[in-house]
Amino acid sequence: MDILTYLQGASTQFGPSGHEYETAQWLKTRFEPLCDSVVIDPLFNVLATLNPTVKPARGGRAPKILMCAHMDEIALMVTDILKDGSLRMGNVGGVDPRILPAATVTVHCRPDSGKPQNLTGVIGAKAPHLLTDEERKQNYRRDDLYIDLGLPVERVRKLVHIGDLVTLNGPAIGLLNGLAAGKTMDDRACVGVMLEAAERLQHLSHAAEIVFACTTQEEVGSRGAKVAAHTVNPDLAIVMDVSHAPIPASRPDTTVPLDAPAATYGPFIQYRLLERLQETASLNGIKLNTEPAERSTGTDTDNVQIAREGIPCVLIDLPLKYMHTTVELLDTNVIRECGRLCAQFAAGIDEGWDDSLWI
Amino acid sequence: MDLKTLCEAQGLSGREEKIRRMALDACVKAFGQSAVTLDGLGSVIARRKGANSAKPTVMLAAHMDEVGLMVISATEEGLLRFRAIGGVDARVLVSKRVRVGYEAEGKPSLPGVIGALAIHLQTAEDRKTVLPIEQLYIDIGAKDKAEAERLAPAGTLVTFDTPYTPFGDGCVLAKAFDDRVGVYNLLRLLDAPYDGDLVFAFTSQEEAGCRGAVSAGYSVQPDIALILECTSANDLGETPEALQVCRVGQGVCVSFMDNASIGDAELYRALLATGEAQGIPHQIKQFVSGGNDAGSIQRSGAGSRTLALSVPCRNIHSPACVCSVRDIDSQEALTRAYLQSL
Repeated sequence: MDILTYLQGASTQFGPSGHEYETAQWLKTRFEPLCDSVVIDPLFNVLATLNPTVKPARGGRAPKILMCAHMDEIALMVTDILKDGSLRMGNVGGVDPRILPAATVTVHCRPDSGKPQNLTGVIGAKAPHLLTDEERKQNYRRDDLYIDLGLPVERVRKLVHIGDLVTLNGPAIGLLNGLAAGKTMDDRACVGVMLEAAERLQHLSHAAEIVFACTTQEEVGSRGAKVAAHTVNPDLAIVMDVSHAPIPASRPDTTVPLDAPAATYGPFIQYRLLERLQETASLNGIKLNTEPAERSTGTDTDNVQIAREGIPCVLIDLPLKYMHTTVELLDTNVIRECGRLCAQFAAGIDEGWDDSLWI
Repeated sequence: MDLKTLCEAQGLSGREEKIRRMALDACVKAFGQSAVTLDGLGSVIARRKGANSAKPTVMLAAHMDEVGLMVISATEEGLLRFRAIGGVDARVLVSKRVRVGYEAEGKPSLPGVIGALAIHLQTAEDRKTVLPIEQLYIDIGAKDKAEAERLAPAGTLVTFDTPYTPFGDGCVLAKAFDDRVGVYNLLRLLDAPYDGDLVFAFTSQEEAGCRGAVSAGYSVQPDIALILECTSANDLGETPEALQVCRVGQGVCVSFMDNASIGDAELYRALLATGEAQGIPHQIKQFVSGGNDAGSIQRSGAGSRTLALSVPCRNIHSPACVCSVRDIDSQEALTRAYLQSL
């Protein structure tokens, strides 16, 4: 898979939390050639199943692995139409208001009748001459910002409704040394890892049934993953999400290096599975850093772990810089390495994988 | 020359060569080599001789340069520290794309991004405080300081990376409307009907302090100068009407005063009267703010009568400037009609 081409496509799919249908369709067509069956569930989770290629060694039941990464994106929502035709906005997920002034956006209009229409908009801010000296030293507040559609208010009122979704523009671009930057790398880059793993698994024999879940509503509290984990009912899970790579302003203990995947350790992570993951990395010459999570991981792991009777989880972190901006920056080679790690790990899961899991 | 090409071209103050080339070629084509000169600051001055020497010498001026960024050093991690050239509010820079270096034949500029600490890692204080330009940097993906310095040495110029995008009802989104709209209209006015001497000045370094217009005004010494500019609109987001500078889509803006000059009162009345008589959309720049080449030209040498005609622009000096095509056209139409009436 050409990673940059995938990222460019993935970063332009419409999929704010709770509204992932279009992204789900797009991803379904990507998993179909690589999997035995692909379904979209009621929450728009894409569940792609790869059947075992070999029988379990002792002839028992094939273990089932859930691999998951979320496909939803943070976005904005129209909260008011002003007299001058500009729009006020609210958040869908954690949008940093610092990135908004002079940002280009797409307003996704869903009129009462007729075809949905996408409008280009620009985010403007309260004029400098209207700010006090004190205000000038501070970031704009939400009420200082508005979306400009370049339309008179009558047209705006016809086209736009309160609650219409607004996505930030920022398709992925390639930088030096195989790096890329764009919006929604969190977490469609990790969905790319699953596609990469699925491709590699075409050439590996595996006793486990593997279900790739592109989950929804992670940015509003990992809601899609809760349902996906219930439906898939796996024996174990590999969750993937992004984490912070170092930048000059970051505290060293909050980041992992950009150039390699990391594995989380802590109470939510099954320690034996983590050891197995680290062994797999080591055997395959894959650099794998570690990252602590002393409590909640802030990822789908938190809900997958407590689905049904409980699911042992590992969490692989894909480091990126500038999370929740439109220039989330990552190393495409790490996506490839993560894919290789996931594929090898999954291929190594056979009957007896849990013999010494807890004792 | 179309506006898209002009806006997407890279031309920061002091390094306007790409715009200069376009202006120069168009003027030489229109008036011949001998009518066009480059002055000591790189402004293009094109003189169109008129048959009627009794008529005043009119100068039409627009500046070629745009605001942007300049690399000053690289960090150990290979990130580029920068300064702004021209007035750039640091608050519009986070999460934006830039082009590092001027593109040349076979050598594209490098894509770069300006990031910042993720919202998850910010303290309550971080959320409130504006990140100053000294704390921002451009990330081109360089692996270390040596690679960054090799590919983007100190002095490398950086422009916003914004494709020219029509949207809404006759609006356009682009970088550098200030003042490529003026350059665009000057080029459209090369054939303007006027039988006195008409001088076209494409000035340099306006954003660095209206420098080029000082020497351009000096060498032209016009009787009348009209400055074709772009001005901040501030008309949306519930701005009280009295505090709006002007309104996008309501026509070209006629200035009685800004922070750099007081417009010539007779010219001001004449331009408004022309607009009225010809039905050309126009409005008054009602809030005194900003400043432009009119100040330099008015007080250059023995002085000239000046007036600025500006296209209203939202988010001026940012990566996402918004102008209305109607306003751009009315700037050209009002200038043309005024020349005809002289």
